[in-house]
Amino acid sequence: MTQSADIVANNLSKSYGKFVAVNGIDFEIRKGTIVGFLGPNGAGKTTTIRMLTCYMPPTRGTAKVAGFDIFTESLQVRRNIGYLPESAPLYPEMRVSEYLAYRGRLRSMSRQAIRQRIGAVADMCAISDRLRWQIGKLSKGYRQRLGIADALLHNPPVLVLDEPTVGLDPAQIRETRRLIANLAGQHTVLLSTHILSEVELVCQRVIIIGRGRILAQGTPDELKEQCAQRNKAAGILVEVRGPTQQVRSALGALTGVDQVQVVIDGPVATFRVDGKLDAVLREQIAGTIHQRGWALRELRTSGASLEEFFVQITDPGGVAAA
Amino acid sequence: MSQTFAIARRELSGLFYSPIGYIVLAIYLLFVGLLFALLVFVPGQIADPGPMFQWNHLILIFLIPFMTMALFSEEYRSGRIESLRTSPVTEMQIVLGKFLGAMGFYCIVIASSLIFVGILSVFGRPDFLPVLTSYLGLLLLGALMVSIGLFFSACTQHQILAAMSSCITLLAIGILFQFTAGILAIYIQSSWTWLVRFRQMLNYLAIGPHMDDFAQGIINTEHVAYFLTGAALFLFLTWVVIESRKWR
Repeated sequence: MTQSADIVANNLSKSYGKFVAVNGIDFEIRKGTIVGFLGPNGAGKTTTIRMLTCYMPPTRGTAKVAGFDIFTESLQVRRNIGYLPESAPLYPEMRVSEYLAYRGRLRSMSRQAIRQRIGAVADMCAISDRLRWQIGKLSKGYRQRLGIADALLHNPPVLVLDEPTVGLDPAQIRETRRLIANLAGQHTVLLSTHILSEVELVCQRVIIIGRGRILAQGTPDELKEQCAQRNKAAGILVEVRGPTQQVRSALGALTGVDQVQVVIDGPVATFRVDGKLDAVLREQIAGTIHQRGWALRELRTSGASLEEFFVQITDPGGVAAA
Repeated sequence: MSQTFAIARRELSGLFYSPIGYIVLAIYLLFVGLLFALLVFVPGQIADPGPMFQWNHLILIFLIPFMTMALFSEEYRSGRIESLRTSPVTEMQIVLGKFLGAMGFYCIVIASSLIFVGILSVFGRPDFLPVLTSYLGLLLLGALMVSIGLFFSACTQHQILAAMSSCITLLAIGILFQFTAGILAIYIQSSWTWLVRFRQMLNYLAIGPHMDDFAQGIINTEHVAYFLTGAALFLFLTWVVIESRKWR
């Protein structure tokens, strides 16, 4: 393992009787990064998270969180982790400040530290105006943010958030994403989610798991590129103002290009470029058009969204992949 | 240690927030009040509150399961067990914290009977030593009963099931064993050794015979040991259940 990794999973596995929920996964999450943990329902996301947070021991393999072994140094791991479980379960009869104080005492925080941190996390999570409320009377959005505030209370180096934006309205989702994005640098965040746009907006890296195995990992851009290369229907769409035939031959001459088709002809034409669909080629296309003095209006890879990639690899050969 | 008390404090306040706590308190007061009015506060009788305490376990059999049923069951059902178990607290701290929280509420419940001791001391001069030992006996009795309730609550996520199983167990050691032993005493002959032994065992396991001495101002270590080992056994079993759950 590298020194700067905050979460290291090593052949981590979990079986429930004969059913294998997580099957030997390995990954490393560097300090201060936000990593999206993606996968369809039942892929083993929550099981993995529960092992990392010491809720259940692995059947095989180990993991280290904040430098501590999840099995032999479980208490240390739990001290260094802030965890928001999937449904953010709370005590409905308690008041918000009371609940946070209780959670602080469970983590052996001093009275003074508890008071200070309640103020700080309440501001961060925008729940300051509800500190005196009974939890049972809070809206779903406030409860979810109270769960995040609880996870942040002891200022842990590692945060594990299981679907933190579920049940929030669009404004709250944006607010919560900004909150999570701001955590980068000081905290290592493992963010489990279904929402792909969330991952693109917030995460620096993505780990995709399915049927208990890691299917892909990398930055969102890397994954999109991989997707474009796998997807036969993918291509680069270029919209240019310029002489159609000249543009076509200029693009066709670039290395890595197999074929150039004209999709829409006219003074402003749209071309479709097939070939090795990587970032280098896109830069070359843009450069060539600029050099010749034509006007580039749009340049994008079609059929290479993170969503497409997700569907492709979690459902290989399935209906959706076509 | 402070974490154990944090959990205990939360459980105690949880019982005050719920209507069940107040219902338990009200029924207990009603029952003890009846005992007081019928057996203790009788004209011409000596001021002895003993009978008031001696039969307390009969009502506690039905009250304590309601006090303890939610301790773990509700945590399982709501999923809060996940936030609790992923906090930096040991399983033993969780078990002891919940036990102490319920015991705290139990102490408040039995302390409510001080009202009647107060009334008695206005009209007469009761001997306070038996009162003191009676409360000690009640405390030990509570430790045993609460630990049994805690154990069954740890076994299931259904509160009602937890309450019913602890109620049945408490009925067995609180009434059934002693009753059976009493019947056996009439019919068996001293030559049937194994039946005599069986009767003795039932009598030892039953709560009733262990309560009498306390009401008379006697602290017998045999009885103290009975309650303490019983409570320790069920606390240990609770810990085993909690510990084993994570391997499933």
